[in-house]
This record gives sequence, structure tokens and C-alpha cells, in this order.
Amino acid sequence: MSVDQRVATYAAKRALACAFIVWGIATLVFLMIKAIPGDEAQSAAGITATPAQVEQVRHRLGLDHSLPVQYVDYLGRLAHGDLGTSIVSFRPVREELTERIPASVELVGSAMLLDVLVGVPLGMLAAARFRRTTDNVVRWVAILASAVPLFWLGLMLQSFVGLKLDLLPLSGSQTIGKESPRVTGMATVDALLAGNLSGFGDAVAHLVLPAVTLSIPFIGFVSRITRSSIVGTLQSDFASVVRAKGASESRIVVRHALPNSLGPIVTFAALQFGWMFSATVLVESIFGRPGVGSYLADSVTQKDTFAVLGLVLFIGTVVAVASAVADMIQLLVDPRIRAAQVGAPA
Amino acid sequence: MTDLLQRPERLRIRPRVRRRTARRRMTWSELATYGAVLVLLVLAVVGPWIAPHDPYLVDQRNTLLAPSGEHWLGTDGTGRDLFSRLLAGARPSIIGAVVTVLAAATIGVVVAAIAATAGRVVDGIVMRICEVVLSLPVMMTGLGLAVALGPSQKSAVIALILASWPSFARLARSEIRRVMVSPHVEAAQVLGVSRWRLLTKHVLPNSLDTVYVKAAMDVGGVIVIISSLSFIGAGAQAPSAEWGAMVESGSRFLNNAWWVTGAPGLAILVTSAAFSLAGDALRARLDPMLSSSLGEAPR
Repeated sequence: MSVDQRVATYAAKRALACAFIVWGIATLVFLMIKAIPGDEAQSAAGITATPAQVEQVRHRLGLDHSLPVQYVDYLGRLAHGDLGTSIVSFRPVREELTERIPASVELVGSAMLLDVLVGVPLGMLAAARFRRTTDNVVRWVAILASAVPLFWLGLMLQSFVGLKLDLLPLSGSQTIGKESPRVTGMATVDALLAGNLSGFGDAVAHLVLPAVTLSIPFIGFVSRITRSSIVGTLQSDFASVVRAKGASESRIVVRHALPNSLGPIVTFAALQFGWMFSATVLVESIFGRPGVGSYLADSVTQKDTFAVLGLVLFIGTVVAVASAVADMIQLLVDPRIRAAQVGAPA
Repeated sequence: MTDLLQRPERLRIRPRVRRRTARRRMTWSELATYGAVLVLLVLAVVGPWIAPHDPYLVDQRNTLLAPSGEHWLGTDGTGRDLFSRLLAGARPSIIGAVVTVLAAATIGVVVAAIAATAGRVVDGIVMRICEVVLSLPVMMTGLGLAVALGPSQKSAVIALILASWPSFARLARSEIRRVMVSPHVEAAQVLGVSRWRLLTKHVLPNSLDTVYVKAAMDVGGVIVIISSLSFIGAGAQAPSAEWGAMVESGSRFLNNAWWVTGAPGLAILVTSAAFSLAGDALRARLDPMLSSSLGEAPR
């Protein structure tokens, strides 16, 4: 078998494993639905429903059948993209979700960009100053950053940068009157597509605080991973050779160690997409951004249990897919891992 | 010798517990982090009793007071003393996290012990379940379960226990399997030691170091997650002085009284960082080679 074929086989296996995980998550969410105390049909129909309506919902959701039949029905509905119906708006969860995905992707994308731009140089700095004061300071910053409650950080930034200093807009994704026609649903991209530069600046200004908030805990992780990955490379034989040839330590880090350490960093960035997506639940509602996270937070507040569980399932799927993608990226960028996983020559 | 082999049940061989703890003196920074954790734990227990004011006493004439001699951290939107509420909230916030981690670690180790000794089918099933639960962020599993069970502090703790035992199970399982094949365990097996004694006296004592380290390192993160659940509304509810719930109720007064939000959030940050640093110090002491998200690179 050629290398390409083996990589393709690996990809197929990884996709299958991912499908298994998604099925597992769906089962987990089904069990969560069953864990809701009280009559499920009553909860699904809402408190205001008449007994007749409750019976109707009971029949529609197949709750008059046995548990295994209900489970199969549930999986069947999921396969058709039915994530359940909100008991507050009576709209399908999927409909509202699709409208809100672009805003979340925009936020997560900018936060990822930020934390790679800050975290990777920090990690490089720590690695170059291995076990010296700078290294320790970066370690402390990383631990502090990962201990920060996101929701609180968001509120504090809002209070000081937004309210006190009046530097950046407090909430929303753009100022009313500066919107561009909706194409992708991402305020920044839409503004660019419409050639609306002031609208673009406005959308970016609205994005800064939430993106900074979301990226801070992850900057800690990225810097730690970069550091340990580079430190590992710096202690390898080839680094000693380069050092012996008279290269400066900073040159070794930037030109030799970083490219060889990119694998774990890129993988982590891909994994991070899923984690950040789930963390938007803490950030978007604070900054009033119309994304998936604020939808989830609103649903919790409104005790819209079925919407919450539908969204948990969706976000779980995003995380599972992100982790499969991370594995594939690792395989494609790092020949050593390719060799280990599919036996291709290194 | 023949006598010994004939009566193996009488044989008491002393378990060989491998000590990995380096006998070196504690550094000042280690002492400081352990001390901070100890102080926080004591505060969590005695907090409500030493509070200068009633943390739940509403006083509509003295709302949103700035910090002063009378009210050290000021008062919140309904005139309750913020400092007293922080002390009262230490219990649900810190003890909640400690209980979560202890319960999750215990369940995880028990499940791992069963999985590692019960044969391939059980092992396979258990590990697949762990894989699925671990693929979801703890925050999402916790949120979904807590909402399904009906939002409350108790639901949040139960949800987080159910969401986090698999990470302990997976770690403990790999450690147990590693120790199971070591010479001293095989020797004990040959001598006919019962399965239970083998596990409790010979295998577990040698395989739990990493579990302790993980437990210590996890508490800081769980504190943040518990408070996050309360903040969204899936955890502790309104009058509770749980820190996340306090941040949420304070956020309405961000305009004119930022400290009402600032103080409980800072408490979460400091506590979580203290536990994480202590966990990190413990890790460095127990197992210098263990790599983790915050860990050192292998030397």
C-alpha cells in the first residue's frame, strides 16, 4: 500500500472513531433527557400546555412507547438534524442554532488568532530562558491565566475598558446603523464583502473585548505547550550541533526549534477550537453577542431544558470533530507521527 | 520452605511500597502555596461563623456602599455585607470543588481497579464509556446534567462528579496495569495472595501517586467550573453566597459598584490559582518526570 493509501485508511478509521464518539454523546444526552425529573411530555410541552396538548406531544415524541423504541426514535430524529424544539420560542433548536453559528465562529477564530500570536512567542521566550527568572514568570502568568474565571474577566474588562475608559463598545456585534447586509453572518466579513470600511472597524472594535476575554486562559495553555515542545527540541542532538557551530540561542529557537515543534502547537490550536466553542457560553452572553454560547446561556436562564440538551449535543459534536481534525493535521504536518501511526517512512 | 508453600494463606509478605518522594527540604514558594491552601480550607469550614455580619441580612437603606471600616468590602445590591458573603461563600465554592474531586477520584480508581482486573470485555466497555464522556468538555457535560437534574448547587456537584470520574479512571487504569506486571506483584501472585489483598496492598499503593497529583491539580479548575455553572444559572441559585452566583448578581451594578462583582471573582481567581500552584508543587515533588498541561518538559 502506498503512503497515501495508508493515510487514507487512517483517516477513515479516525472518522469512524469520531462517529462512535458522536453516537456516544447522543446516547449520553438521551440519558440526560431521561434524568429530567417529572413527566417528560409535560416538560417538553411547556407549563402552559393543556392536557390535550401534552398528550399530543407525548405521542409526537413517541413517549408512549418503550424505552428502547424511544431511543431508536431519538437517534432517528437526530439523523434528520432534529435537535429538539425550544419550549420557550417553540422554534426548532436547529433553526435558531444555524443563525447563530457564524457569530460564534467569528469570535472563536479571532480568539484563537490572538492566543497563538501571544502564547507562542511567550512559550518561545520561556524556552529560551529555560529555568531562569523569565521562565518562572511565564509559568506564573500561565497558571494565573488558566485560573481566571472567564465570565468575571469579561465583566471586569467591560467595566474598566468599556465603562470607565470608554475605549471600546460594551456589547453587541456592531453599532446600529453601521450594519452591512447579512451574507455570512459574521459582522466583520460581511462588512468587508460590502466594502463598508467604517462598518468593518466598528465590528472589529466590538470583537476585541470578547476575543481577549476568551483567549486569556488559552494563552496560558498555548505558552506551556510551546515551551515544553521547544525545550524538548533544544535538548536534542541536532540542537547541540547547531549550538556548536556558533548559532545564538535565539536563532536556534526561532530557526531550528520552532519549526520542529510546530506539530503539538498546531494540534493544540485545532483542539482548542472545540474547547473555545464550549467556553463561548460564558463570554457571549456578557458581551451580548448573538452566538451559540449566548443561546445556550439564555436557554439555561429560561429553563429551556430541551434547547440546552440539544445545544450540548451540538457543541459536543463540534468538539469531537475538532479533535479528529487535530489528529489528521498532526499526521499531515509531522512525518514522525505519520511514521508511528501508519508506518510510512519518516 | 515446603511448609511455607503448603500454607500460603498464612504467609504475610510485606508490600513493597516504592517511595518516589525525594527527601528534600520544602522551598519557600512550596510552603507558601501549601499554606495558602490550608488557610483557604480553614476559611471554608469556619467562614460563616467568623463573618462580621449576617451574610443573608437584607438592608435596603445601605445598598451598594463602598468599602469602609464598617463594611470591609462594601455592600451588595440588597445591602448585604460583601465580606461576610465572601466568607460564607467559601464553603459551597471550595468544599464543593474538593468534594467533587474526591468523589470523582474515588469512583475513578474503583472503576479502574475493576476494569484492570475483570477481563477484556469489561475493560473495553468501561474504557469506551470513558472515551465518550471525556470527549465532551467537562463544562458541557456538567451544564447539561445540572440543567436536566434541576439547577442547584447539589445538581452541579453531582453533574461534575459524573463528568470527571472518567479522567481519573483512565489515569488509574494505566497505572494499575503498569504495576500489575511488576516483579513484586507477580511474586505475590505466585505466593497465592488473594486478588483483593493483591490489589489493596500491593498494586494500589504503588499506582496512586499520579492520581493524588491529578486530584490536587484538578481542584483549582473545578472551582472555576462550579462558579461558572452558578454564573450561568445551572448551579447554586439566587440568595446563595456561592462566588459565581455573587458575580452574576453583582454584574447588574457594574456601572456604579464594580467591587460587588470584582471581589467574588477575585476570590475565585486567588483560590483557584492557589490550588493549582499547590497541585503543581505536589506534582514536582511526587513525580518530577510526570508531564502535564502545566508540567515541565521531560529532561
